Amino acid sequence: MQIRTRNLYLIPYLTWILLFVVAPILLIVYYSFFNVDGHFTLGNYQKFFTPVYLKMTLSSFWYALLITGISLLIAYPTAYWLTKTKHKQLWLLLIILPSWINLLLKAYAFLGIFGTYGPTNKLLESLGIGTQQILFTDFSFLFVSVYIFIPFMILPIYNALEEMNHSLLDAANDLGASQWTTFRRIIFPLTLDGVKSGCQAVFIPALSLFMITRLVAGNRVITLGTAIEQHFLVTQDWGMGATIAVFLIIAMAFIMMLTRKRK
Amino acid sequence: MKKKNGLGPKLYLAIVFVILYAPIFYLMVYSFSSGEKMYNFEGFTLKHYKEVLQDTRLLIIVLNTLVIALLSAALSTILGICGALAIYYVRNLRTQNALLTLNNVLIVSSDVVIGASFLILFTIVGVKLGFISVLLSHIAFSVPIVVLMVLPKLNEMSPTLIDAARDLGASRWDILSKVILPFITPGIFAGFFMALTYSLDDFAVTFFVTGNGFSTLSVEIYSRARQGISLSINALSTLIFFATMIMVIGYYFIAKRNQRGAGMGVGK
Amino acid sequence: MADQTIIRFENVTKQYDQDPAVLNDVSFSIERGRFYTLLGPSGCGKTTILRLIAGFTEPTKGKIYFHGKVINDVPANKRQVNTVFQDYALFPHLNVFENVAFGLRIKGCKNDEINRKVLEALRFVNLVGYENREIKEMSGGQRQRVAIARAIVNEPEVILLDEPLSALDLKLRTEMQYELRELQRRLGITFVFVTHDQEEALAMSDEIFVLNEGNIQQSGTPTDIYDEPINRFVADFIGESNIVPGVMKEDYLVQCAGKNFDCVDGGFNSNEQVEIVIRPEDLQITSPDQGKLRIKVDSQLFRGVHYEICGYDQDGNEWLVHSTKKAKVGEEIGLYFDSEAIHVMRLGETEEEFDKRLEAYSEANHAD
Repeated sequence: MQIRTRNLYLIPYLTWILLFVVAPILLIVYYSFFNVDGHFTLGNYQKFFTPVYLKMTLSSFWYALLITGISLLIAYPTAYWLTKTKHKQLWLLLIILPSWINLLLKAYAFLGIFGTYGPTNKLLESLGIGTQQILFTDFSFLFVSVYIFIPFMILPIYNALEEMNHSLLDAANDLGASQWTTFRRIIFPLTLDGVKSGCQAVFIPALSLFMITRLVAGNRVITLGTAIEQHFLVTQDWGMGATIAVFLIIAMAFIMMLTRKRK
Repeated sequence: MKKKNGLGPKLYLAIVFVILYAPIFYLMVYSFSSGEKMYNFEGFTLKHYKEVLQDTRLLIIVLNTLVIALLSAALSTILGICGALAIYYVRNLRTQNALLTLNNVLIVSSDVVIGASFLILFTIVGVKLGFISVLLSHIAFSVPIVVLMVLPKLNEMSPTLIDAARDLGASRWDILSKVILPFITPGIFAGFFMALTYSLDDFAVTFFVTGNGFSTLSVEIYSRARQGISLSINALSTLIFFATMIMVIGYYFIAKRNQRGAGMGVGK
Repeated sequence: MADQTIIRFENVTKQYDQDPAVLNDVSFSIERGRFYTLLGPSGCGKTTILRLIAGFTEPTKGKIYFHGKVINDVPANKRQVNTVFQDYALFPHLNVFENVAFGLRIKGCKNDEINRKVLEALRFVNLVGYENREIKEMSGGQRQRVAIARAIVNEPEVILLDEPLSALDLKLRTEMQYELRELQRRLGITFVFVTHDQEEALAMSDEIFVLNEGNIQQSGTPTDIYDEPINRFVADFIGESNIVPGVMKEDYLVQCAGKNFDCVDGGFNSNEQVEIVIRPEDLQITSPDQGKLRIKVDSQLFRGVHYEICGYDQDGNEWLVHSTKKAKVGEEIGLYFDSEAIHVMRLGETEEEFDKRLEAYSEANHAD
C-alpha cells in the first residue's frame, strides 16, 4: 500500500529528473564529440587543451576566485554585525531586496555610475586624481560582480550565525576565551557550512558570467560563460561550446564535493 | 556582551547598505531626467515613463514575462510538491540522498550550462523555440527550489500526525488534503514565490532558449542596454522596482499570516 | 456471560528486515471495559503491540483478531480503535474544536451532530470553553486532554495510549493518572496504555503485561505481579527488590544466606536452585540478635517517606531496606520479615509453567 503511494509521486518527479537533469547533461557530453559539420571528433577536446582555451579557463577561475574571496571578506562582517542589530529581520530583508531586482538592471546602472562623466569620475576629479577609464576594465567587472553576488554570500552566513547555539559563546567566555579566540575557534568553524554554501552560491555563477562581462567589461574579460554563449549563439559551433560546458560541469561537481556539508 | 555594538560595525553596515542601494536609486533618479544620458541631471520630466507606457512591444513583453512567471511558478510548485512528497515517502536513505543530489544539480549548475543544454534538448526533441521552450525551461529550473522549500516542512511534520489522521479514519486523499498540505502551506508559498522570482530574474537560460519572435523583459533589457544608455530603461526599472517592492511586501504579509495560522514550529 | 474478548493476538511476530524480532511469538487477549498496561523498558516491543493494534504496521507472522475476525490486513483508518499519541499528534493548523471534530468530519457526520459530540467529549476532559483555542495556546496537560477527547469522540471500543504522560511534569502526571483511570471507568471502554513507568502501571491498571525483548514476561493484576514476580527481570523492573540465590530444601522451606526460612511457596524439586525475592519495605530493622538476618550497614539515603538503607550479610549478598527507622553506617543490624514476604522464583520458568505449578500446589494444599 505504501509502495503504491510512493510511486505515484515519483512518476512526475522522476520524469522531470530524466528530462531536465539527466538528459541535458548526457546531451552536452554527446555534443562535445561533434564538430561544426556534425562529424564525430575528439578535436574539441584537443582544442580545449590549447593555450588559448587554457588561458581563458585559468583567468576565468582566477576571476571567480577573486569575486568569491572579496564577497566573503565583505559579507562575513556584514552578516556577523547584522545578527547583532536590533531589527535584524528587517535589515536582512533590506539586504535581500536588491537581489530581487534584475541583475541586468543593476549592471546597467553601473554604465552610468562608472561612465566617463559619471559620479565616480566626478568624485575622482574633485579629489585631484582626474578622470579615469573605469568602465570596461577588470575593476568594473570585479566591482559589479561582487555587488551582484554579495547578498547570496550574506544570506547563508547570516543563517549559520543565527542557527548557532548562543550558549556556546557563553561557554567559551566562561572557559576564558578572548573574543578573537571565540571567533576563531568557535564561531567561524560553526558557521563554516554557511560560508561553504555562500562560496558555492557565488563561485559557480561567477565562473560562467557572461552578461556582466558583455555589459560592463566590454570584451576585455572573457570567462567560460562568455565562451559558451559565443559558441552556441554566435559562431554556432555547438560541439566546442558543449566541450567547454563539460569542463564547467566537471568543475561544478568538484566544487559541490568540496563544499559538501558535514552531516 | 551582545549589546556592545560600537560605531565601527554600524558605519560598516551603513556603507554596505549605501553601496547596495546607490545604483538602484541612481537608476531611478535618472528616470526623471529630461536629458538622454545617465549623468548631469537636467530637470524633471515624466517623458521616459510616457515612452515606456506607449511602447506596445515592451508592454507585450512585460505581459509575456508575467504569464511565463505565473504559469511556470504554478506548475513548478505542483511538480515540486510531488517531488518533495516522493523524496519524503522514499524510506531508503540512500535513494533519498541520490534523489536530493539529482534535485540539486540544476540549482548549483551555472545558468549558461543550463541554457546551452536546454537549447540542445529542445532542438533535438523538436520543440519550437519561443513561448513553450521558455515556459518549459522556467518550470524545469524552478522545480528543485520548490522541492527544497517544501521538504523541510515535510520533515518538520511529526510522522505521528499522519498516523493520527489514519487512526481517525482518514483515507490517503484525506491525509494529503486535510493534514499534509495544510501543514506544509508555508513551504508551498515560499516555494511558489521563489519560483516566481527565479522566473522573473532569469536572463541567461531564457536568452539561450528564446527564439526570434519571443522575448522576456530581461532579454529585452539586455539587448537594449547593449545598444547603450536609454533613459526609458531607467523608467522601466523604476516601475519594476516598485512592482518588486509590492510583491515583497505582499509576500511578507502572506508569510506572516501563514505563520500565525500554521502555528507550531513555523520558526522565527 | 458473552465472550468479552475484543482483541486477540495469536502467535504474533514482528520483524523488520533481517533484524532480530521486535515481537516474538506473542499471544494474549484483551477484554471489554478493562484498563490494560503494557509495561517494559524501551525497545521491549510494547509500542509495536500498540501499532499492530492500531494498524500502523502489520505482523510478520501470526494473527490479530478483533471481535473474532482477523484484522491483519485492515488498514488503520478502517479500525475501530483510536490512539492517543506520545507527542499528542494534534493538528497544528486546526483549533481545538476542529482537532476533536477531525474523525467525525471524515466520517461525514452532520454539523449539529459534530457540534454535540465534540462538546460532549470536551466536557468529558474538562475543556469546555476552549473550543476556539489554537493548539499552540494550550499547555502540555491541556493538549493531552485534547488528544484524549479527539480519541473518545469517535466512540471506539478500544483506546490506545502511547506513553501519553511521559511529557508531563511529575505533579501533572500524577493528576492525569487519576483522571485517566476515572475517565476509563466512566466511559467503560477498554484502555490499552503503554508505559515504562512501573508506578504508573501499578497505580492505574486492571491488568499489566510486563514485556521484555519482544516477549510477554508476565501478565496479571498489579498485586499479582508485584507480589509474585516470576523471574528476576519482572522482580527487578517492578519496584525495588532484593534478589538472592537460594536452595529449596522442601516445600515451604528455603535456604539462603546460610539459613533456613519458612516460606509459602511450593511445587519445587528438593534442593533445587532458586532465587528468592524480598521487597525492601518488607524488611524491618531490629537488633542484631532478634533479626532473622544480620547485615552490616553500608550506606543510607533519606528518601522523604523512608530511609533507604543498603547493607551486606556475611555471604556478601546486598540487602536494600526501606525503613522509617534510621540506622548508622557501619553498624550491624538485624532484619526481620514474615514468611509471606519471601517469594521464591524458579530459574527460567515461563508464565505458563508458573501458573501450572501454582495450581498444582494450591490443589495439593486443599487436598490436605
